[in-house]
Amino acid sequence: MSTAPTQAGSAPPTRNAPSRIGRSAVLAGGLVALLAAIVASIAVGAESVPLGQIWPALTDFDPLSGDHLVVRDIRVPRTLLGIAVGAALAVAGALIQTLSRNPLAEPGILGVTHGAGFALTLGAALGLAGTALGELGLGVAGAVLATVLVYAVGRHSTLRLLLAGVALSAVLQGVSLGVRLTSPDTLDKYRFWSVGSLAGREQTDLTIPLVAIALALVGALLVARSLNAVALGETVAHTLGANVARVRTVTLVLITVLAGAATAVAGPILFVGLIVPHLLRRLTVGSVPWLVTLSMIVGPILMLAADTISRVVLHTGEVPVAIVTAFLGGPMLIWVVRRYGAGSL
Amino acid sequence: MTTKPMTLLRSSRLVKASVAAAAFALTVSVAGCGAAGQETSGETRQFKADNGTVEIPQNPQRVVATGYAVPTLIEADAPLVGISSWQRGEPMMSDEDMKTYQDLPRVAGETAAETNYEAIAEQNPDLIVIGVPKPIFQEIDTERLESIAPVVAIGPDVPSAWKEVSRKQADAAGALERFDEGKREYEQKAEELKGKYADALDGLKLAHIGGYGEVENGNFQREFDGSWGTNVANDIGAEYYGQVSEKGEGSRAVSEYPSLEQLPSALKDAEAITYTVNADGSLPEAVKYVLDSNLWKNLPAVKKDMTFPVKYTEAATYGQATTALEALDETFAPLLKK
Repeated sequence: MSTAPTQAGSAPPTRNAPSRIGRSAVLAGGLVALLAAIVASIAVGAESVPLGQIWPALTDFDPLSGDHLVVRDIRVPRTLLGIAVGAALAVAGALIQTLSRNPLAEPGILGVTHGAGFALTLGAALGLAGTALGELGLGVAGAVLATVLVYAVGRHSTLRLLLAGVALSAVLQGVSLGVRLTSPDTLDKYRFWSVGSLAGREQTDLTIPLVAIALALVGALLVARSLNAVALGETVAHTLGANVARVRTVTLVLITVLAGAATAVAGPILFVGLIVPHLLRRLTVGSVPWLVTLSMIVGPILMLAADTISRVVLHTGEVPVAIVTAFLGGPMLIWVVRRYGAGSL
Repeated sequence: MTTKPMTLLRSSRLVKASVAAAAFALTVSVAGCGAAGQETSGETRQFKADNGTVEIPQNPQRVVATGYAVPTLIEADAPLVGISSWQRGEPMMSDEDMKTYQDLPRVAGETAAETNYEAIAEQNPDLIVIGVPKPIFQEIDTERLESIAPVVAIGPDVPSAWKEVSRKQADAAGALERFDEGKREYEQKAEELKGKYADALDGLKLAHIGGYGEVENGNFQREFDGSWGTNVANDIGAEYYGQVSEKGEGSRAVSEYPSLEQLPSALKDAEAITYTVNADGSLPEAVKYVLDSNLWKNLPAVKKDMTFPVKYTEAATYGQATTALEALDETFAPLLKK
């Protein structure tokens, strides 16, 4: 089985890779599943909205109808947020796993999650995190600063980069915990953010982070072909004429924007960035662009499915979506390992 | 050979004598400490608290208070020598009470986990009044506290229980006289307002939005009769219709946290809605989340301009509740014109 590319940035189809027709079928199936997840996300919630009211709420909105307001003001924004966060985390996971050639890497490994958490903890302790927009700004700032620091320390090799990320995450986590333990008010403010959720964001202006995610997703598609060569190792990539340093830098920036923006708007949500690339590994053999494309579809499916479940799983109220993704993600990861063996990891 | 046993004997006697002297000194010292704390509290009585029946001084002179007991015992002029921090009550304290609160030594933080046992011991109290609910009391090292002074745990199970609980706290601390004055003042004011708003509130179906909703989970707090945001209004005749769909313990018995999606169905029958505001009139984040939604603006009561901000919903003493009554009088005044 040959996986060597014939030219920089592009790999020929392998024996196990799906044919063009197969890929089209997978893409169509994915889009149908995504549509189903979107419909479920808009139709299901704490309040029972008659199915007959869903379509009119979207096409013939009546501002005096409670059902229409629930659909338009709460569920549609929440669904859009789920799509953006799911796509961002899944693509960030695909990029970091490809770049690091480490199947256990996930977006938070560069310090993004703990950087955002540390900034929010510090902001709460200093009284700077009073509003949702303020928290958003703090989260983004923390994520970016943490990644810049990690990059400054480990930019010379991917391994150093990951180690720097893990080390900084541990330090930030420890310091954050210390601040929270010594300040009950900070703990109180932080405890809800510490578990990722898509609820309660519909009134916050999320234009900037959502535009940032959209641009970064486009960027991920553009860099994916070059990343194909880098995925084969630096020496091979150099031989194939790829500018490894530039590809790595651009990819890291994209990972930071995607994971940082997603974490800032939804809080820490693990497993999506880890599990989605694994689920797609067999379907996307040897093609990073294909992996990135499908991650943009399957990430939102997983996120919307988890969020829909989170609304109805308990009759006493909602469960943060991060808890559901953890419940779904754990068994899925085990299933992938058992189904495809350790090789898939 | 003979000198050694003698030396040992002498040495042994010397040690025994030293130990006896030290023990005597310690006994005197401890007794002295005890006397300092109990010099005017020779008589004791049996007191029934959440932690059982406890023997406490008849007339305590050095009281340490934590939790809900802090504002109660400050108002009641109890002989306090140490208190926990109680930030939530600060906006409702009078200037005089605030000065007392600020001057007293802190022996604990805002939570039971922040109890500083050494700081409590340093105050040499003759009574420790722990004003936290039963589940929280279990977080405290009772044995350690009991080695310092008698401990009585008196905390509310449900929000409206502050009335009985605060009286019991004042009773334990021997400060009922001033306490009962405050109680009478409150009851008098409540009775007056009850008459004033009798017609306006008669049969009015009220609902209350509390300040403890969880924006991050997309929900709001609805409070029913007997909750923090409603119990003082209940005393002037306001009735908050409905009840929690699934009763829990403590405040969960009288308040619930539905999704914001459920706002229209939850409050569609409300003829008037009250909502918690901060002492300065600003909206808590959880209430702002509800009031900024289009679902809120679409509610029948909102369209009829039948919404009323309520201050001091955390009142847990008669003094604070009297302040809350005055604020309610102000907020319900437009009802008299409708």
